[in-house]
Order: sequence, then structure tokens, then C-alpha cells
Amino acid sequence: MLTRRRFIQIAGSSGLASVLCLYGGCNPFGKSAARGRSRAGDKRVIVLGIDGFDPQLSERLMDAGRMPNLAQLRAAGGYARLGTSIPPQSPVAWASFITGGDAGVHGIFDFIHRRPEQQCAPYYSASETIGATEGWEVGDHKLPLNFWPFNHGTTQTLLRREGTPFWDYLDAAGIPSCLYDIPSNYPPSPSAHGHHRCLAGMGTPDLLGTYGTYQCFSTRVRQVRDQGGGILKPIVFKDHAAKVKLTGPVNTLLQKPVETQVEFRVYRHPTEPQVRIEIQGQTIVLKEGEWSGWTKVSFPLEMPSFLRNDAVGGICRFYLQEVRPTFRLYVSPLNMDPSDPGGQKVSEPQKFVTEIADELGLFSTLGFQEDHKALSNKVFTDEEYRVQAEFVLQERMNLLNYALGHYDTGLLFFYFSSSDLQSHMFWWDNDEKHPVRSPEDARKYMGVLEDLYVRMDGVVGDLVRRYGDQATILVLSDHGFCNFRRQFGLNTWLRENGYLGPENCGSLFQHEPKFGPVVDWSRTRAYGLGLNGLYVNLKGRERDGIVDPAQRDALLEELRAKLLAARDPETGAAAISAVYRSDQVYSGPYLANAPDLIIGYARGYRCSWLTALGTIESAVFSDNDSTWSADHCMATEELPGVLFANRPIRHPEPALIDMAPTILEEFGLTVPDSMTGRNVFT
Amino acid sequence: MHALNWLLINLGNAAQWLWEALKSACAAAWDGVDFVLNPVLSPVLAVLNPLCTALADGAYFVLSPLPVWLGLAIISVLTGAVMLIAFRYTSNQKAIGRARDDITANLLALKLFKDELGVTFRSQGRIMGALLRLQWHMLRPLLIMLLPMLLLLGQMGARYQWRPLRPGEQTLISLRLAPAHASLVDAQLDSGPAAIIEAGPVPGGGELVWRVRAGEPGRHMLRVNIAGATVEKELVVADTLKRVSAERLGSRWTSQILHPTEPLLPAGGPVDSIAIQYPAVQSYLYGANWWILSFFVLSMASALLLKPVFKVRF
Repeated sequence: MLTRRRFIQIAGSSGLASVLCLYGGCNPFGKSAARGRSRAGDKRVIVLGIDGFDPQLSERLMDAGRMPNLAQLRAAGGYARLGTSIPPQSPVAWASFITGGDAGVHGIFDFIHRRPEQQCAPYYSASETIGATEGWEVGDHKLPLNFWPFNHGTTQTLLRREGTPFWDYLDAAGIPSCLYDIPSNYPPSPSAHGHHRCLAGMGTPDLLGTYGTYQCFSTRVRQVRDQGGGILKPIVFKDHAAKVKLTGPVNTLLQKPVETQVEFRVYRHPTEPQVRIEIQGQTIVLKEGEWSGWTKVSFPLEMPSFLRNDAVGGICRFYLQEVRPTFRLYVSPLNMDPSDPGGQKVSEPQKFVTEIADELGLFSTLGFQEDHKALSNKVFTDEEYRVQAEFVLQERMNLLNYALGHYDTGLLFFYFSSSDLQSHMFWWDNDEKHPVRSPEDARKYMGVLEDLYVRMDGVVGDLVRRYGDQATILVLSDHGFCNFRRQFGLNTWLRENGYLGPENCGSLFQHEPKFGPVVDWSRTRAYGLGLNGLYVNLKGRERDGIVDPAQRDALLEELRAKLLAARDPETGAAAISAVYRSDQVYSGPYLANAPDLIIGYARGYRCSWLTALGTIESAVFSDNDSTWSADHCMATEELPGVLFANRPIRHPEPALIDMAPTILEEFGLTVPDSMTGRNVFT
Repeated sequence: MHALNWLLINLGNAAQWLWEALKSACAAAWDGVDFVLNPVLSPVLAVLNPLCTALADGAYFVLSPLPVWLGLAIISVLTGAVMLIAFRYTSNQKAIGRARDDITANLLALKLFKDELGVTFRSQGRIMGALLRLQWHMLRPLLIMLLPMLLLLGQMGARYQWRPLRPGEQTLISLRLAPAHASLVDAQLDSGPAAIIEAGPVPGGGELVWRVRAGEPGRHMLRVNIAGATVEKELVVADTLKRVSAERLGSRWTSQILHPTEPLLPAGGPVDSIAIQYPAVQSYLYGANWWILSFFVLSMASALLLKPVFKVRF
């Protein structure tokens, strides 16, 4: 997308600026945010969001004396299990934290939503990129011009989390708020009064527009292969030198968009396990097993000949996995460059992220910073993933130091993703057979996770010592964790119980050679999509709906009863412990987008990997064979989060939706009607 | 619209072609100038650079107790004053005065006789002529001051462009091989206490590159043994701003101006250059991106302010 300013900027170097100025008019852009006097006074509220911090493990470690700081808060009445969202998925839960309402208020019901007007076309629920539909077609290019008289629609990434975030009320009251890595807020919502600063967290994409795509160059790979979350590429050495290309974002300004690429050279030492990487004038020397620092890469965007070529900048890290006999070089997902994000909005205000980078240097801006895909795809070993996760944690610890160093009064929110993404990969808390690890390794990496909990305890201890009773300190998690041992194929179950047809169908979307043809919607009454969602194929809502709205209730009750009765043939245990009807558990303006049923799996069970994206495998029950060995997309009651505070918690059953009202009342503000929770301290 | 697109694209293509042609022509012209100047200037600079470095070291020794920005400001103001005086004695002040008076008189004529077309055209022509005369009279002092100015900028660059490595800081040392030795794959770097070698040398592309971590503070000499020869390169480790030489090169006058503080590498050896990636100085007043701007603004301002004092016209 080209704004008038950007268009004139790049045209200016081609000598066309004056012409275009005359043509389009040259009104100045931008206005400075209004600055008001803070009403916070000396009031401080610090919220530490530790994703996936589990109450059972926390209590065990506190009882064992390994988390003395949190144990001290517990002893003073500042601990409770924290009720989570339905379903307990991070985007849903954090959106409830942000808005103080359930999913009907903020409109995020699952990681994945669907468009009923296109039957069930899936999309990521928290944000959506809308491509430009119009543009000036010139040569091979199509340039959207978003100024008068063209006013072309432009490519935009939109925040799909609805509802009013609690910080808007603080902002309006002149109370400063600063949030680091807040999930479910990409692109960051704007601050109307200039008292709010925010660095986007979970949900922030990489430069390719994905949630993290690594690139791995290997002499064992013969052709480029997409691994889902990563790309494997061949590398061929001649006289110990190789030339390869790093794939960048797609140039959408071309009529036939193509991926941008940056070529770089790799020189391999003839005998030693060392390489030299030459990329865009930068030299990196690595020994086997070493990581580079963050490296800036600029991807050229070819423009028509009368305009200067543009570029999109990002940052990545190189990791030399192996030199011989197989050469393997891992390149991290391309993060947006915090020192120069260009038109990519990762913070509010935009300069916030550059201010941080000025002081801290380059850092990751991606939502999912731990590269769990590399581990799941076996590009990383367990140990390599642990090392990479440690880098992430160190970087976030530095960011926390920055945040505290620049914090005076008002609200400070800081988020840690490490506990979530390390739990997904390392959690295993019983003696059952681990999906991929030996019992010793399962214990070893659970130990790594326990050490992480202990470190989080240290962070809380430092905060409490630093602020004492000068600040209200809240430490919370959005959900807990448990083993994920068995998969439940929801669509397979629906097919086997006659709700989804034909009997040999293999996918909701396209013919899957391995599983079978696409479903026949005229024979389908219900389908599963996302991690917990079940939808009725409703007439008048779904494009090819067949279920009469009058029959919907009966069908939902029938499905609920049958799903609760589903038993794992291997153990005889119930796979599903709760089934929620969205019209009973949600309220709010976005209820119409909700799945009809939310499936609450029992501990140890989760929907199968294939079901989540609409594939229908052969068996209803199967073992989870992924390194992703723990999860939280189960029943809400099974996996509460934690709440610690440096004040006694009075609420008998605090929940995530109580956090926003608590924060507002801490600053003396009235809780709006849209928030259904209440202050946990009163 | 198609016609406009066609026109714009072809104009763009033509402009790009012209730009490339211009760049090639300039590069060829520069090669010619370089071919002529290098045998003359390189030996001259080889003699002048050590003298200038000694002088600059003395000046910086005096300025060293002061903050860096103040030192830069003093040098800039003094340079402005010295250049002003030099301009006065190397330029034809009378001729410059006449040209400026001509410009003033004809500007006045333009204002007074704006209704008379003939006078207007004649005055514009005279202004143009006076401007050209002014430029011509500027040329001699400019050429005379060019070399001292370049020498000064080279010395300042060595002090304001980069900073020394801090103890424990990581950097790369790149050795560019002479074309006749481009296939060499090994060399021994003797870093002494200056640095700890972490990796390398990794050969390829006519270069050998080491990754090192800075060691003890001080002005050290690294020794590289390669193909029977030994070459040296200075490495500075310090917590404060000091003179550093980012590159040591063979006899190229342009490189000698940019990196004046180390002697040239011996001719005919296996090494073309040795470079150390010193970190750029980060400061809005005198950092890598700003010192030259600060210098020009301050020196020009001081020259303009002192112009009436020294009775100089330009």
C-alpha cells in the first residue's frame, strides 16, 4: 500500500514529486497526540502476565520451598486459582483479561474462526489482513494509491479483537499505562489521549505474514520443501562456497505477486567446523553450534521504472547447526525490525518500539518467539529448543529491566511467553509414556520447566522487594497445563455418528489423497473447526446449511449428550468432561460468530491436530505423537490459571474477567457495564 | 491512461539508462583521475600522514581533558578561522569584491528598472557573469585548501567516526588477500593480550576473517603471519574515545586519506588490506553520522561570524 506521503517520497527521487504534488495536493499529514496531565498521582499497578503458569505445579513447588517469594504472597492471602475463559485458549483468555468480558464481548472464540458465508473458510481470529482490491495498473505493477482522487482500498491488517480494552478508560482519565508484549492486541489499538503505550505480543506476525516461519539450508535437502512453520532449502557448496537465497515477504505491488529474496553467501572452512556468512555487506563468523546476533536484512520491493525501488526491512538470527557431514544452517523467522519498523505497526505509538530498540538494541518482535515449529518438525533437538527458548527469556528479562527503568506511575503490564511455549514442549508430569521422549528425558525437561518457574518466582521477588507496598502487584496466568497424550478426532467422531458425510469423506475443504474426498454439505449436520469449536451446519447461516434453525436446540443437546458419553477404547475414560453451549455461556454483541458448542476435553485429551484445520482422519482416538506434548485447550474447569497479589484476595472465585475491573478500581475509576467481573480485593 | 503509463514507464527506463550511463562515465573519469593522481599523491600522503597524525595527537592531548563535543567544537571553530585567513591570502580579494559589487549593483538595477525589459535582461546577464567570476576566484583558494582539509578530516574521522573496542567486546578482523594470493586459506594471527581469537580464519572470496573478543585495554599490535610474510595491524581496546584505525591498506591515496594513522602495507606482499570492525560512535553531536555535519556547521558559522573581523570577502 502506498500512502500519499510514501508515494511522493519514492517518486521524489525520480523527479516526479513536484508533478504529483500539483496533482494530488500537498496537505501535511499527522497530528500529535493530545497530552494530558496524569491523574494517576502516585498510584502504581504492576501486572505480570505469565502465560500458562500452572496452579498445580506452582503449589507443588511452593510446598517444596522452591518458590519462596510466591509462597510468601500465598501465606499473606494473596493467592488464588484464577478462573479462565471458555475455552482456555490464550487469545480468548487474554482478550477476556483485556476487556473484562467473555468471548461474546471481545469476539474471539478460538484461535481459528470460520466464514459461514463461504461455508467454513478458516481464518486467524485475532487479526486479519485485508488485501488491496484496487490500484493503479502500470506495467507489471498495481499500485494502490490511498489519496484523493484515487482513494484505493489499501492492504491493512486489522485487529479483530473487539470490545473496549481497559486501558482506554485509563487513557481517557489521563492515567498512563504501558503494556509490553500484550497478547490479542495486534496491531495495537490506538491511544486516543496519548497516555497509553503498548508493544504488541502474541499474534504479531513475522515479515512473511505468518506466525513464525524459519528457513533451514541443508546439503541433505534436494528441493525447497514447506514444513508448515518452516521452509527447508537446499544448499550446494562449490570450493567451500555457496550462494543461497533468503525468502522475504511477497511483493504485493506486482500484479502477479512474487516472493522477495535476498541472496547471501556462505563460506565453509575447508577443515574446521566454521563458516562465514556474507549478507548485504554484513559478515558473520560462526562455529558449529553458535547463534549469530540479530542481523538486519532488507528485502527489495521492485517498483515501476519511474519510481525508486522500495524495501522492507526485518531482522533474523543465524544458527549453525552442523557443518559436516551434513551442512545445516537455520535462519530464524524474519521479525519486524524494532529499530525501523517502517509501515509495520508493532507498537502504540509507533515510536515506542524504536525508543526501546535505541536503548536495548535489536530484539524479537514476533508473537511466538520460541520456535516450537522447529522442534515439532525435528529441525531442532530438545536441547537446541531449550537454548533458543533461553535466548528468548534473556531478551525478555532485558526488556523487563527496561520497562521497570522507565516506569514511574500508572499501569505497567509485562508478559512472559516462555512458560507457555516451554510447557507445550517440555511439560510431562506423570509416569505415562511420553509421546517422543524417554522417561529420563521427559523428567529432565520437566525439570527445565520447573527451573523456569523458580526463575519467575525470582522475578516476582525482585518486584515485591523493589516496590513493596508502593505498588499493587498482580501476577497472573491465563490458564494452566496438563499432558496431552491422546487425540480426539472430532470430525471423525461426527462422521462415525452420522453427523458428517459421506462415510469416506476426508476433509472439510479439499480432497485429501490420504484421507478421502471433501465432505458433502448436504449430508452434514455439524462439523468441527479450531481447537474447541463445533458448528451446526445451519440453514440461513452457513452457505450450504441444511439444519433447520428450529431443530438446532435438539441437535445441540443430542450432540452434547453423545460427546459427554464418548469413551476412549484404550482406557475406558471419558475424553470430554464438559460441552458448553455458546448461547448459554456467552453474552455480548459478537455471540453470532461463536461456535455452537465448545468442547471441553478431559485432562490428557485434546482435539486431534488434523481436526483443528478440518481434516477427518481414520480413527476417532489416537496417540499424540508430537513433541508438543502438553496443552491447555481442554475444559475450562480443568485448567485454571493462577493469581498472586501483594494484597489479600477477597474474591472467593476470581477469574480473568475480574482483572480489568480490579485495575480500574485500583485507579479509582468506575467499572463500565460491559465488564462482567468485579474487583478481587473487595 | 495507457498512454500515460507507457510514457511514464519509458521515461523511467530512459532515466534509469541515463543514470547508469552517467555513473559509468563518472567511474571511468574517476579511474582516469585516480590513475594520474595515485603515483603523485600516495607518496606525498605517505610522508604527510605520519606528520599530521603526530600533530593531531598533540592537539588531542591538549583537548583530552575536555568533553568530546567541546573538543570537536573548538577544532571546528579554529578550522573556520584558519580557513578564513587562508582564504584571504590565497584569493584575489579585490576581484571577489568587484564581482560581489557587480552582483549587488545589478540586483539593484533589477529592482529599479523592472519595467524596462532591456535593462532587466542585461542585469541578469551581468549577474550571471559576476557569479561565474566569483566561482572562478573561489577555485584557487579551494584547490589550495583541499589537501589540508582532507588531511584534517581524515584525522578527525580516526577520532570521531569509530570508538575503540571495549574489553570483552566481540569484533571481526578481515584480511583481504592480494589477487596473486587469493587462494590462500590459512594464516596465523598473533593477537597477544589484545584479543582472544574465537573463530577463524574462515577463508573465501579472497578474504580471511577472524572473530575475536577484545582483551586487555591498550594500543596493541596484532601480527599476522601469512605465506612467509608478517604484517601488523593496530588494535585499540579502551573504554574511552581514542584514535583508531579501522583499516590498514596498500598504497591508494583515497584509502590513505580515509585511514591516515597507520603506515601503508608493504607493496607486493600477500595482503591487500587488514580491517577491524570498530563500533561506530553513537552520539547525536559527534557520532559516526554526525561529527562531519557538526564540523561543517560550526566551521562555516565561525567563518561567517569572523568575516568582518578579518575583513574577508567571499
